[in-house]
Amino acid sequence: MLIVNPELFDVLIIGSGHAGGMAAKILTESGAKCLMLNAGPVADITRDAQRKRSWDLPYRGFRPPQQVPHVFQADEFNSNVWVDEHEVPYTIPPDAPYNWVRVRLFGGRSLFWSRQSFRLSDYEFKAHSRDGFGEDWPISHADLAPYYSRVEEIFQVSGEPNNLPQMPDGNFIPDPEEWSTSLLRLKAAGQPRNIFVCRQRRANGRDGLASSVNLLLPDAEKTGNLTSIANAVARKITVDKNTGLPNGCEFVDRLTGREMSVQARIVVLAAGTLESTRLLLNSGLANSSGILGHYLCDQIYGAGVSCSVPEARGGKSKGIMGGGAIIPRFRNITDKAPGFLRGYAFNVYSSPGQVGPRNFAAYGAELEKKMQEYYGSGIGFGIMGEVLARYENHVTIDPTVTDAWGIPVLHIEAKYTDNEYNMGKDAVEQASTLAHDAGFEVLSTNPVPNPPGYSIHELGTARMGDNPKTSVLNKWNQSHDHKNLFVVDGASFTSAGWQNPTMTILSLSMRASEHLAEEIKRQNI
Amino acid sequence: MQRRNFVRTLTALLTAPRLLFSQQAKQQFPAAAPLPWYTGLNSRTPLPRTEPAAEVATPELHFFSPLQVQTLSRLADVLMPPLGGKPGAVEAHVPEFLDFLLSTSAQARQNLYTTGLDWLESESQRKFKSPFSKLTDEQAGVLIQPWLRTWMNDHPPAEPHASFLNIAHDEIRTATINSRAWNATPFTGIQQHGAEGLYWSPIEPELAYEPPHVAANPRLPNSMPTYKR
Repeated sequence: MLIVNPELFDVLIIGSGHAGGMAAKILTESGAKCLMLNAGPVADITRDAQRKRSWDLPYRGFRPPQQVPHVFQADEFNSNVWVDEHEVPYTIPPDAPYNWVRVRLFGGRSLFWSRQSFRLSDYEFKAHSRDGFGEDWPISHADLAPYYSRVEEIFQVSGEPNNLPQMPDGNFIPDPEEWSTSLLRLKAAGQPRNIFVCRQRRANGRDGLASSVNLLLPDAEKTGNLTSIANAVARKITVDKNTGLPNGCEFVDRLTGREMSVQARIVVLAAGTLESTRLLLNSGLANSSGILGHYLCDQIYGAGVSCSVPEARGGKSKGIMGGGAIIPRFRNITDKAPGFLRGYAFNVYSSPGQVGPRNFAAYGAELEKKMQEYYGSGIGFGIMGEVLARYENHVTIDPTVTDAWGIPVLHIEAKYTDNEYNMGKDAVEQASTLAHDAGFEVLSTNPVPNPPGYSIHELGTARMGDNPKTSVLNKWNQSHDHKNLFVVDGASFTSAGWQNPTMTILSLSMRASEHLAEEIKRQNI
Repeated sequence: MQRRNFVRTLTALLTAPRLLFSQQAKQQFPAAAPLPWYTGLNSRTPLPRTEPAAEVATPELHFFSPLQVQTLSRLADVLMPPLGGKPGAVEAHVPEFLDFLLSTSAQARQNLYTTGLDWLESESQRKFKSPFSKLTDEQAGVLIQPWLRTWMNDHPPAEPHASFLNIAHDEIRTATINSRAWNATPFTGIQQHGAEGLYWSPIEPELAYEPPHVAANPRLPNSMPTYKR
C-alpha cells in the first residue's frame, strides 16, 4: 500500500455532535489542526426536507414498519433521519429489548434533542458516598461549574434560580413565560411535601436551534484549523507499532465502500456513548481494566400520569393552562424512599389543546363527546429516573454480525431491576397524590418504564475514575492506558443521574479539551 | 428519487450537449430550436400533478383473510363511525390501509391483529350466533366495551383482548384522521386535523453503498450509459 504524504493532524475527532463539536471548537481555537470524521452525511434542510401532510404519504404518518423498529420516537415524517437498523444493526438477547436510537447526520443527535438543560449535582457526582452504591465520580460539581457556566452562555439556557442543592443553578437568561394557574396550583400543592415545581431549564440556542452545527462547529471552522469529512464510517483506531499509542484511524467511505486511513497525534472519541465504545472494542484499546463496555446506564422514561384540570374544561383554558415545569428529584434527598436508591424528576406539561383519546375508555360518539368536554384541560407528568450503573448491563462485540461496511456490531445486554420498577411505581403514586392535592382529575397512569435506551441518554461503558483498575478514563476523559486517547462523550459517565446529560457532556468535553490543549502546549502529549 | 434521478440526468446532459447534438445531426432531426429544449425546464415550468395511487386505485389485499377483513371493517365502522360531517374509518379506507400496514409489520403486531380479529369473530358466533360483521352497534358494544382501558405513552394494556382492541382503536382512529377523506371535508369545532410536519427524504439514498456480498456488480456513481468506441 502506497500513501503519498499523508497529512498528519494534531487531533483526530470522531463524531460531530455536541461532544465532538465542543472538542473541535476548543482545540481549533487553541491552534490545534483538527480532523473531524462523521459517519453520515450533512443534512441540508432546504434540500432534504419539506412540509408534508400525512394524507400525502404512503403510511399516513405511521412509522414505516421495517426501517427502525426500535425507535419509538420515529414516525413517517422523520424515519429517514435515524440510523437504519438494517444498515447498522445491533443484537440483543430475546428477553431484553434495548432501544438504541441513533442519528448519523453531521451534528448527530444535537440536531434533534429536547434541549432540557440541567447540571448534575453532588447528589450525582458523589452518590456512592451518600448511599454506598457504585462509584463516586472523580470530579465534583465545583470542578465542572465554570465549564457549565460557559456552556450555558453558548447555548443560551433559560431558567430561574431555585437554590436547590439537587438542581444547581446556572448562568441563565431570563425565562419570560408567564406561568399558568395550573402550574401555580401544582407548585402550591408540592410545597408542604418538599416537592419543588420549578421553571424549565432550556437551551434556546440561536434561531431556535441549539446544535453543534450552529453553535460550535462554525467557531471551529472560523479558525481555519478544522478539516471535516462526512460519510466516514470509522472501522478501527490504528496504533503506532513502536510506541503502542493510537495514531489515527481506518474508515470506510459510506457511499463508495472505499477503505481509507488518516493519521493524527491525538485521538478524541465523540461518536456517542455506544459508538465510541464499539470503536474501542473493535480496536482492542483502552481496556486494561476489563470493564470497557460495562456499567451501561440511562434514565427511565415512559412512566407517568395524565390528568385534567376541571376548571379549564369547556373552552375555559385561557390563563389556566399552558407552559411546562420541572420537578427536580425529591426522593432520597431528605427522606429515604422505600424500595429504591437515587431518584427521579418529573417533566410537567400543561396543554390548552386536545386531551388525547387514550385517556378515555370510550369510542365513537361517546369518545368525541368526552374529548369535546375535556378539550384544553390536559396536564401530564413524565418521569426521568436514574438507572443505576451496574456491571451486568454491558455491551460486547457480536462476532457473528457485521454492519453494511463489514464492521462488527454491538451486542447489548441491559435490563432494568426492581430499583427502576419501584421508582416507576413510586412516581405514579407521588404524581397522583400531587395532582389530587392540586385539584386535578387523574385520567390515566402508567408505572412501567419504556425499554432501556428509549430516553436516548445511554451513558457509561467507558467510565471515568481515579483507579485504572476500575475505570477506563481518568478525570480528564483521558484513557488510563493511552495518554493520547480521549473519550469526551457520554461513555465517560460514572453514573447517570436523572438529568438530561447534554449540558454535562458539553462541559466535560470543554474541560477535557482545554486540558488537552494545555498538555499539547506543554508538550506532555 | 425518480425526480432526483431526472435532475441528475439533466445535469449530465448539460455537461455533454456536444455529444447529443452530434447524434441528433446524424439522425437528421428537424433543425434545432433557437434555445435548447432543456432551458424550458426551469422553476417556472409547471410540474405534472399526480395523485397517490391508493387514493385512486383499488389496492390488492394481501394480509388479512376475507373473513378477517369483514370483521375488521365492521370493527372500524363501530369504533370510528361517520360523525359530525366527517367520514368514518370505512369511508377513509382504513381496513385496506391496515392490511397494507400490517403486511410488513413485525410478527408480534401481525399476530395481535389476526388473533384479535379471530377472537372477536368467535365471540360473536358464541354470543350472538352471527358473524361480527352482521352485529348491530349494540351487540358489537357488548363485546368491545368490557375491554376498553385508558392508557398512555407506549404502554397499551397487557391483557390479550384489551391489548388488541385498544391498539386497534388507536390505529383505526389515527388512520382515519390522517386520511385524505377526513381532511377533505370541512372542520367544525375542535375536530382533530390530520398530522402535518417536516418530512425528511432519504438523504443521499441513491448513492448508498451496497456491501459486496449483496451487490454482485458495484453500483455506478451515475446512470449514464456507455457505448462501444
